[in-house]
Amino acid sequence: MALFRRPRLFEPAGSKGFQVRLAPEARDWVVGLADELDALLVTDTEDTRRLFPTAYPDDPERDAGYQILAREQLIDDRREAIALMRTTIAKPHMTVDELAAWMRIVNDLRLVLGTRLDVSEDDDDLDVDGPDLESQLIYRELGYLLSEIVDALTTTLP
Amino acid sequence: MTAPIEVREPATDEVVEEDRPWVVIVWNDPINLMSYVAFVFRKLFGYSEEKATKLMLDVHHKGRATVSSGTRTEAERDVHRLHSHGLWATMEHDK
Repeated sequence: MALFRRPRLFEPAGSKGFQVRLAPEARDWVVGLADELDALLVTDTEDTRRLFPTAYPDDPERDAGYQILAREQLIDDRREAIALMRTTIAKPHMTVDELAAWMRIVNDLRLVLGTRLDVSEDDDDLDVDGPDLESQLIYRELGYLLSEIVDALTTTLP
Repeated sequence: MTAPIEVREPATDEVVEEDRPWVVIVWNDPINLMSYVAFVFRKLFGYSEEKATKLMLDVHHKGRATVSSGTRTEAERDVHRLHSHGLWATMEHDK
């Protein structure tokens, strides 16, 4: 019996992957944010700091070598994921790979927004009087979306 | 005919340093969802739900967890995969 079971945004649908219950305007909105992220990827700002972490915190020389190789690859990986997201904008179903692309980009969006908002462990409450209320709400919406994606993709793990 | 190539022998200390295993550490951050972090551990490393959850909780409560180890190349590959998923990972010589 599932009287109180809420519908999931991504319902496993066998060989079709996942049935998607995201309204068209919600998909447009997320893909629009992903397009903004795409433009941000080549900028070197504080907002994108968490997208390109240090690998060798105690060895700047080695880290510089890592960054030269990794940064470009990390940008390319993200661009591929964003491109895959765009192809799903009107699909009733998404494959595991398509949903995984959504997962990575939605998480990246939260990293950028969370960095901008300077989120801390104790930031559970909404600051309704804060100047960045809209960003706080977007951050929360993306958190809900990510949580739904993770729940769906977890069903594909062995 | 090309000139003989001079092969530089590594100093003994370098060999010892490179032979020591590297460990990959994931650090706590206030942004990543706990369920997401555990999922990434399972997906990338094939860990069981139990092991992935334990590592995720170590990250959350202790501030860090060692998630893999190996040669420098292996560790760098794992760090890169974790960075690609937005996790805050670093590598260092095993102590």
